[in-house]
Amino acid sequence: MFMVDTHIHTCLSPCAELDMHPSAIVDAAVRAGLDTIAVCDHNSAENAAAVQRAGKAAGLAVIPGMEITSAEEVHILGLLPDMAAALELQSKVYRALPGRNDENVFGMQVIVNEFAEVLGFEEHLLSGATTLNLNSVVAAIHDVNGLAIASHVDREGFGIIGQLGFIPPDLPLDAIEVSRRTPLPVARASFAPQGKYPILCASDAHEPKDVARAATFVLMKEASLEELRRALTGEGGRTVLGGGRLMEDLALHILDIAQNSLEAGASTIEIEIVEDVPEDSMVLSVRDNGRGMDKDALARATDPFYTTRTTRSVGMGLPLLAAAARAAGGALTIDSEPGHGTHIRASFQHRHLDRAPLGDIETTLMVLLAGQPDTNILFRHRINERIFELESRDFRAADIDLSSPVGLAILREAIRRGESGLK
Amino acid sequence: MNVAEAAQSIDGTVMAGRSSVEREIQGGYASDLLSDVMGNSREGDIWVTMQKHVNIVAVAQLNGLAAIVLVNGRKPEPDTMERADEIGIPIISTPMQAFDAIGILFNRNVRGRRSV
Repeated sequence: MFMVDTHIHTCLSPCAELDMHPSAIVDAAVRAGLDTIAVCDHNSAENAAAVQRAGKAAGLAVIPGMEITSAEEVHILGLLPDMAAALELQSKVYRALPGRNDENVFGMQVIVNEFAEVLGFEEHLLSGATTLNLNSVVAAIHDVNGLAIASHVDREGFGIIGQLGFIPPDLPLDAIEVSRRTPLPVARASFAPQGKYPILCASDAHEPKDVARAATFVLMKEASLEELRRALTGEGGRTVLGGGRLMEDLALHILDIAQNSLEAGASTIEIEIVEDVPEDSMVLSVRDNGRGMDKDALARATDPFYTTRTTRSVGMGLPLLAAAARAAGGALTIDSEPGHGTHIRASFQHRHLDRAPLGDIETTLMVLLAGQPDTNILFRHRINERIFELESRDFRAADIDLSSPVGLAILREAIRRGESGLK
Repeated sequence: MNVAEAAQSIDGTVMAGRSSVEREIQGGYASDLLSDVMGNSREGDIWVTMQKHVNIVAVAQLNGLAAIVLVNGRKPEPDTMERADEIGIPIISTPMQAFDAIGILFNRNVRGRRSV
């Protein structure tokens, strides 16, 4: 499973912060646990190679890309197989991009190397629109074997639906992207009701702190554009498992905690979400039978500067969840005993204005269950009097292989039905 | 005032949808965000815009608009013209900028009909 953020700007984009230089981006991505990023500056790929080199040193795969502005002022991401393709597309875009940048008005367009040394300033007006219409932009991306993705379709300005009212039905997009403004379940209902387009969640980061603020979980064999393409079309068991906002969505905090449980060697993990709307209460609970924590480790678990973890994380860990609970009139409690397991419980006032959205349970369960044949995962979601329960060993008992394409499809359908039955 | 008369008043050329130029204009709307036009324009409006993508025809059809005016001398794309001819939505191209075209139409009693 790969955690991917397909939309990150560098200091080349006039609207991005100057500290978005290659190593800052790579550091932020690695710290957040990303496996793959795509660098997509406005109408240019000048900095993509430098980020690729910085990524290589840190073991982070970097896909070169570009966010092209069509004549209709719609933003389309082109994710590209290599730098040769990126430069070929860039020259086509430059030929169709009128105007010169005025840095006092639009901001600086800084070309840097992987050591954050300034190599020069791009003169094309990158914040402008090309004269290429939407069909030509998508065709130009496909001409160099790239993936064409409609950027932030939930945004009015420069989003395809805001600008054009709806997605032109014959436009051969490979996916659509939702920004970190919109929880994935909302986006799925609003923008891809027939499942026509795969949805990618991406940060559209313009400053280092926003890298990985949203990400997509992709089941594929390696971090490459070709594998991502296959995942988008569901080829050979590859698929987009889901995505979301790593800091906001409570569902991704649950995923994070459950992954800790797996690392602690748990053979059983019980996840429970209880929403009691009349009582204004929401409680998330994850209980495992892993190796547990001693007193010291327990005390350090909510310290933001401490982690026992050596592998990557999803989400931002317990300190952030504790803060989210407190902000919504609740609390986080941890009970743990060495050798017996850990129970983490976060409570919230359900209707509190600052209560974070639950986010996408489908993503949480797809990521957890697809990858863990040896752990029994029990999930229970109660909203008032309705309950949805799912247990991974039931699938195994029915001979459903959750690592096969068919198994994944059955699992997804079961989650969707169960969750929609709660509404 | 009908669509043909409106076109004449702003030095416009009817580029497509000629079958419907006799239609009466009930009001006007101006915007380049098509999602906004879908939400706020009214049946019988003449719509002033810079957008020339084929989706403008669908939006006009959806809301029952009387005609589309492309300003700054912009010409509809070929597939836009084709759709407009099929459905019978007149598309007028005018060399005027939006401000002037709307001013002239306003002086001839075409008004916006929605206060948001």
